[in-house]
Order: sequence, then C-alpha cells, then structure tokens
Amino acid sequence: MRNRLRIILNHLFTVFSGASVAVLVLVLVVVLGPMLSKGVTAVFFRSTVEFERLQFEMNNRGDKQQIENSLAEYHEHTGRIYEIYDEFCLGLNVSRQVSQVRSIARDYTRQLRYVDTPDEEYDRLKDLSRDIRDQFSEALESQDSEFALKEIDKILNMPQRSEFKGTEFEKVFKMAKTYRDVAAAMDLDKRDVYSEDLAAIGDLLSKLFGPRPSADKPPLAMNQYGATRWDRVKKLSDELLWKTQWQQQGEGMPLKEVRLSRAQMYSETPMKSFFDILENDLEKIFRPRMKIYWQYLIDDSTPGYFFGGIGPEIIGTLVLTLLAMLFAIPPGIISAVYLVEYAGDTRTVRLIRICINTLAGVPSIVFGLFGMAFFVLFLLPMFKSNASACILTASLTLSVMILPIIIRASEEAIRSVPVSYKQAALALGAGELRTVLTVTLPAAMPGILTGIILSLSRAAGETAPILFTGAVALGPIAKSLFDPTRTLSYGSYNIAVSDRISMLVPHNQYGMVSALIILVLVLNLAAIIIRSRISKRLHAS
Amino acid sequence: MRKTRLLTIISLLLTAALFAADKQLHIDGSTTVGPIGDAFAEVFKHLEPELDITVKKTGSGDGAAALVDGRCDVAMMSRFMKVEEFAQAVENSVMPVAHVVAMDGVCIVVHPSNPVSELTLAQIRAIYKGEIKNWKELGGVDAQIVPVSRDTSSGTYETFHGIVMKKEKMADMVEYVNSNPQAHSRVKSTVGAIAYVGLGFVDSNVKSVSVNGIKPNRKTIASGVYPVSRPLYLFTDGYPELGSVTHRFCTFYLTEEGQEIIETKGFVPLTDY
Repeated sequence: MRNRLRIILNHLFTVFSGASVAVLVLVLVVVLGPMLSKGVTAVFFRSTVEFERLQFEMNNRGDKQQIENSLAEYHEHTGRIYEIYDEFCLGLNVSRQVSQVRSIARDYTRQLRYVDTPDEEYDRLKDLSRDIRDQFSEALESQDSEFALKEIDKILNMPQRSEFKGTEFEKVFKMAKTYRDVAAAMDLDKRDVYSEDLAAIGDLLSKLFGPRPSADKPPLAMNQYGATRWDRVKKLSDELLWKTQWQQQGEGMPLKEVRLSRAQMYSETPMKSFFDILENDLEKIFRPRMKIYWQYLIDDSTPGYFFGGIGPEIIGTLVLTLLAMLFAIPPGIISAVYLVEYAGDTRTVRLIRICINTLAGVPSIVFGLFGMAFFVLFLLPMFKSNASACILTASLTLSVMILPIIIRASEEAIRSVPVSYKQAALALGAGELRTVLTVTLPAAMPGILTGIILSLSRAAGETAPILFTGAVALGPIAKSLFDPTRTLSYGSYNIAVSDRISMLVPHNQYGMVSALIILVLVLNLAAIIIRSRISKRLHAS
Repeated sequence: MRKTRLLTIISLLLTAALFAADKQLHIDGSTTVGPIGDAFAEVFKHLEPELDITVKKTGSGDGAAALVDGRCDVAMMSRFMKVEEFAQAVENSVMPVAHVVAMDGVCIVVHPSNPVSELTLAQIRAIYKGEIKNWKELGGVDAQIVPVSRDTSSGTYETFHGIVMKKEKMADMVEYVNSNPQAHSRVKSTVGAIAYVGLGFVDSNVKSVSVNGIKPNRKTIASGVYPVSRPLYLFTDGYPELGSVTHRFCTFYLTEEGQEIIETKGFVPLTDY
C-alpha cells in the first residue's frame, strides 16, 4: 500500500515537472513569437519603388540609371493621379476659380490692346468678355445645381464663342466645361462636405505617393518619400478607398462604425477614374518585390527612426555591455575569493553578505540615480570640465548593478570546489594565493561563468540605469568613451513613448526589440560555449 | 605585444575624448516636445553636418533638473518652470530663459463609438475625481467610465491638473500611463475610456470631445480660446549667445521651415507664415 502511494506520488511529480516545462516553453512562444515574427519584417518585406529611391538617395545603393528609369515611370503614374485630383479640387474651389476667371479676363483685354484692336471692336469684345466673366462667376458661386448648370450651358452654347478662339479667353470656356462635369455630378450645397473629404484624400495621397515631383523637397525625411513598404501601401490605399464614419443608432446606444466606399461617393464625378486606378493599378505603380534588407543591422536611421536601420544602437549596446563586464568581472571574482577564502566568519563579513544580497535585489532605477549622482555629477567633473553623461559613466553604472550578481554566483561556485583539491595543493607545497589561482578558480570557473551569463543579459537589456547616465534617443555615433550613445533598449522605449511614429513604423520598434533579444541570445551562446569548453578541459584532466 | 596594442587603443580613445568636437548640443526633457527636438535635429544635421546634436526624452521635470545640473544645453518642457526649480537654478548660477516654440492643446479623447461629444470642465473634473462613474450620467451609454491619466512627472499632467482639476486630487481608480502614445492606445482599445493627449495624437482611432463647447483645433488652440491650451517651451541658461548653435536652434521655430515642421508634428505654430 505504502509502495503504491509512493509510486503514484512519483508519477504525479513527473507529470508536474513535465507540465511546468511545457508551460515555460509555451510562455516563451507566446511572448517572443509575435515579437520576433513582427521584428523579422524589418528585414524581410515587400519593398516598393520609393524604397529603392530612398536607398539610393540616403546610402547611394543601387544602379542610378535603373532607378531613374523606374522613377520616371512611377512619376508618370502618380502625375496622372495627381492631375485628376487637382482638377477636381479646383472645380470645387470656387473662390480660386472666380479669381482665376477675373485674371484671365484682365489678361484678355490687355491682349486686345496689345494687338491694336480697333476701338469699337475692343469695346464690344471687352463688354462681352466681362458679361461672360460675371455670368460664370455667378454660376460658380451658386449652390443651386440646376441654376448653375443652366447658366454654364448658356455660356458654352453662345454663338459668339468662336470669336474667342485662339485667345487667352478660351481658357474660361474650358474651365466652364470642367465645372459643368463637377456640377452635374454632385449637389453643390454639399460642396463643403466634399472639400473637407478632399483635403483628407490629399493628405493620404502625399503619404502614399510621396511629394509631387514639382513640389519643393520637404524638410523632414518622413515627408520626402511615399510608402516604401507594400504593407503600408495596402493600409493607406484602404484608407483612401474606404471612409470610416461613426453613425448614431439611437438614444443611449454606442455609435456604429460604418465604412463608406469612396469610389461610390464619387462614382458620378470625374474622380471615378482616380479610384479605379487606386483599386486596380497599385501593383503596377509601386512594383512591390520581396526584399531582404540586411543592411537594417548596420544602417544609421533618420532621426526619429522613421527610415533606416539600427546599426549605432547595436554597436552602443555591445560596447556598453562589454565594458560593464570588463569593469565588473575582476572586482566581482576577487571579492568572492576574499569572502570565501580569507574573510572568515565575523560579524562584519556577515553584514557585507547581507548588503550584497540586498543590492542584488535593488530595482535598477536606483542604480541609475546613484550612477547619475556619483559618476556623472561627482566623479566625472573631477577629470573633465563639465558633467555630461557618456558611455563610460553608463557602463560603470551597469557594472555596479551587476556586481552583486557576479559576487554571489562566484561565491557559490568557489564554495562548491571540494576541499580535497585545496588540501592536495597545499600538501604539495603550494602557497595560499597559488592554490586559489591555479586550483580553486579554474575548478570554479563554470559556476562563475554562469553568474556572468546571467548578468550579461541583464546588462544588455536594462534601460533604467542608463537613462540618466549615458543613453540618448538621438545623437551621432559615439567617437569616444566620453560621448553618449544610442542603445537598443532605450531606443525601443523612446519609440514607444515619444511620437506618433511608432504607429506608422511598428516594424522598426519590433525590429529593435527582436535585435536586442537575438543579441542577448548570441552573447549568452558565446558564454555558454566558453563554459562548456572549460568544463571539458577540467574533466579531461 | 597584444597588451601594448590594447593600451595604445585605450590611450588613443582617451586623448580623442579630450580633443572631441566642441560643437555639441545636448537637448533633454519633455516627451511631448521631444518630436520637435527630433525634427529640428534632423534638419540641423543637413544644415550643419559638423554639429553633434543629442536628444533625450526623460520628462519635463528631468529636463529642468538637467539644465540646472549643466547636463544639457537646452531643456524641452511642456510646462513653465516651477518656482522651486527656478530657485534651484539661480542657486546654481543658472539663469533659465524660456523660448515658446509652439502651442499645444490638451485634448480630451474618448473611444470613437462613444456618443458623448461635449463635456464641460466641471464634468471632466468630476470624472477624474470619481464622482461620475458611468457614461449614462453624461448622456452616453450605460458603461463604466475608465479615466486614464498621465503620470505625475509629466508636463501634460501638470497642465491638466492645473486647468481641469484645479489642483484637486484625482481618484484612486484613475489609471496612470507614462506617455501620449500609451494613453492613445488605451483609449483606442477601451470602449469606456477617457484620457487626455496632445493635439498631434488625435486621429481617426480616438475622438476628441469639445470642452465647454469649444472644439480643439489649430485655430482655437493658437488663440487660446480652447480652455486647455498651453505653450511648449525650450529653456536655456541665459539668452543664448547670438549666433551660437544654441541660438540658431532656439530661434529655428521662427523660420518658415521650422513652422512647417511644427505643423507636421501635430503642434500649432505661433506665427502664420
């Protein structure tokens, strides 16, 4: 009976440990899976023509001739789209048209004077053009579609129209014809609604296709290029084709989201072809193709991370981590040796141990503030004129943070070296120090390395300690240890808290986080490989 | 051999540091003003390639502290310096000078499905004090109100706390987030939520309500008609030396390009060009 119970308990225990391992793996997959899968899209994605232009202008990558050709084709397409849009906008923009008609009429009469028209003829034509001008202006300003159409038809069908052939004034008839299409297609009293919507469309257009070739170059990189990635093209074109509205359902009810097809809203207007192009020809315009942007890992980014890669961040993280290790490992191991081998077991030593254990559990921001107060504001000004956060202070702060972890792990490792090893060394006549250096430490090395691995990941991933001591959100690549640096951890934090940019370039944020995870993994793997080699050597001897 | 090489490298690094470029500009402070700092830095990178600009965003309070400590040249702040900060600065022989770069409105945002589109300052205050708990009381649906606030070190919080809350304490159930994007995404994903964000964060995913009958837009904010408007500042130690880098940076918002950038980033420029 007892035996049976024991067997059942054993089985239960096995099941539970298996289950906990499974849960751990599941959690890892659930947490890291989405992050890594989204992060990968920073390197692997479908790029567009605009991406090639970006790469050429920023990093001089690609074949000049080929890019110019594809751009010419691209601008031909976008030019046509912009033309349709502009014409329609102008048709709606009454005040602009009225002033345009006025200036055309003025130019026309000036032209008449210029070609020495006889006086009588001049007066007649001048009056006639004025009449047409006023008639058309009235039609433009009217909100009554029927009236406007009637007036414009009058103008278009007037017998004297042929007299203006070949003159400046012919433009007025052309405008009237354009406006007739607009007025026939929509309720003129809804003009304001349309203009508001058209402004939104214009906004989306410049995001999708980039600035017009004729326009001045915008100051910021984020406005200099259209959509460089196919997923962004998809998103923007969806916003263009569908207008989201929230409609009332009733008293005390939430509003309902309704997606209205813009193609339908404008189906009777000249804008119809515009939406046809958006619906069917985007692939032809952008020519998306699979891209492996491995330079993401070495490129610098535009300020604010809108375009480009994370090269400086990776370098900064590596430098900080390795320097922190350099500063923390020697004192860590030496303190551990002292505590185990030399310190004995007095009150003071016990107090020191308690302090180390406490320090290992202190939140990292506390170290950050300590680092700022001590290294940045107190220690650095002793050697340099001004207090400035830099790589040196940041890595010193990190090293203080990981010191307790290294001491504790090393202590355990040294303590677990069998006493017989030491006794054998001493019996053979080795001194105390020699025993420690040649026997105890090598035997404890795998355990010490475990502590180093743990602290390495922590140092690489921490944001709080370096926030005030040497990390910046934006800055040049550091030239020396006395410059601040960008890092992966602070970079991803910065994208998350500062701007709307994270909503536009989520792949960059995830890319950064994924890069950090992978970097820590690689560092850990390196340390693990070193550890296994040392273990092998020990056991082999 | 290897050791000597390492030593040379280290000594080279150290000497390089002593002769490092003195054309540096350190900017630190508010996360709200941060985008303006970023964008100006980007333009300056093209205008003056030899200049090194670093930008940090640790919050208005830390920006002020950094200016006082001499850890930065320009502090970005979304509120004016407090008296104690100013006193501390003067004690450290730093004389803070404010440059207003733009205006920003603190917009009260709710989920787009929320039928409530108008609130008074008193109602908003009551929501954050926990006196009004359900949207039904404000003419909305029968749903719990989830008030979301920025953390207390943010300048946006200070503005809201001063103008809307009249310095009264918020209720315990108010959720705190530490940035504009987080407040935005919280409202976007929660039907009953209400939060306050800068004008640049109002988009199709959240709905801004009018306060005391005034809708927040560029016009009402620039003129100060919208009740929760505020200027955004750059602080320097004394007025920057004319013609210096700091001076060029702090007056860049007066140029047409600067105005355009401010608008692009979702703030309201001070002048009409």
